[in-house]
Amino acid sequence: MNKNLQLTFRKGDLLAILLVVAMTVMTAVFFLPKNTSSQNAVVQIYQDGELVKEISLGEDQTIRLTGTYRNTIEIRDGKVAVTETDCPGADCAHSGWISSVGRSIVCLPNRVEIRIVGDAEVDFVVR
Amino acid sequence: MTQEKQMKEKTRMMRTKKLTLCAMLISLALALAYAERFIPLQMVIPLPGIKLGLANIVTLVALYLLGTKSAFTILILRCFLGAVFGGGITGLLFSMTGGLLSMAVMATASRVPLFSIYGVSILGAAAHNVGQIGMAMILMQSVYVGTYLPYLLIVALFTGFATGSAGAGVLRIMKTVQRTEEGAGG
Repeated sequence: MNKNLQLTFRKGDLLAILLVVAMTVMTAVFFLPKNTSSQNAVVQIYQDGELVKEISLGEDQTIRLTGTYRNTIEIRDGKVAVTETDCPGADCAHSGWISSVGRSIVCLPNRVEIRIVGDAEVDFVVR
Repeated sequence: MTQEKQMKEKTRMMRTKKLTLCAMLISLALALAYAERFIPLQMVIPLPGIKLGLANIVTLVALYLLGTKSAFTILILRCFLGAVFGGGITGLLFSMTGGLLSMAVMATASRVPLFSIYGVSILGAAAHNVGQIGMAMILMQSVYVGTYLPYLLIVALFTGFATGSAGAGVLRIMKTVQRTEEGAGG
């Protein structure tokens, strides 16, 4: 048994919470998109880190992806979603419809990522 | 001579007890990870990789009860067995990076007198998410996955607190059990 076993919430634990909150803010500043509105948004579909398809968000379309699992990606009315999948957990399908620039849907089991990017924005630029 | 024999017998008993406890904790972790699939947390909060982290209760208990080395062994075996039982290679990579980072953070934090089991658990849950998103970034070769991290970290505050309180409950009982056993001379 660990000597330092304390089973009740202590003041020091607030420091742990503060640490996680600070990390949340830091990651939010670093990762969250700054500019979310664009008229000519483009949907990019990546698989295994490679761009496999690029479609305008304004074009209604259904794309079927294969790999380890299958994903059906639908673009409709300026929104995109994974509407069907057989991957375990089906997190990608549960993510629902997204429409703003900077948002993405990922399917980790199939290593698929669907991003909405602005017109001029080619890729994420790390400065 | 008889005393020496008794001592040997006692250490062997203790070793057997520890081994049994380890085996039980591994199967418990596997069972909890499996049961967790039926709690559709991602239906409420649609984030990839979101979960309660019930298996983390086991890591937490093992860490305090058996020490870092045993907790580490339990974690590794749990991850491999989890992969065999349906997680697959991708699942293994994710549970391993998340688990190891969380383990390292919790092992360190559990030595800091400032933190109770709650603080340790919250830090562990956050570290787990950082590890998983880090792995996702490497696998998907994309920084975009990072957009999920702030959301996951907020959720980790709550799930970390919940698993911490569950772990506290288990350890409270184990403490009484140990005391009774010591009192009985066994």
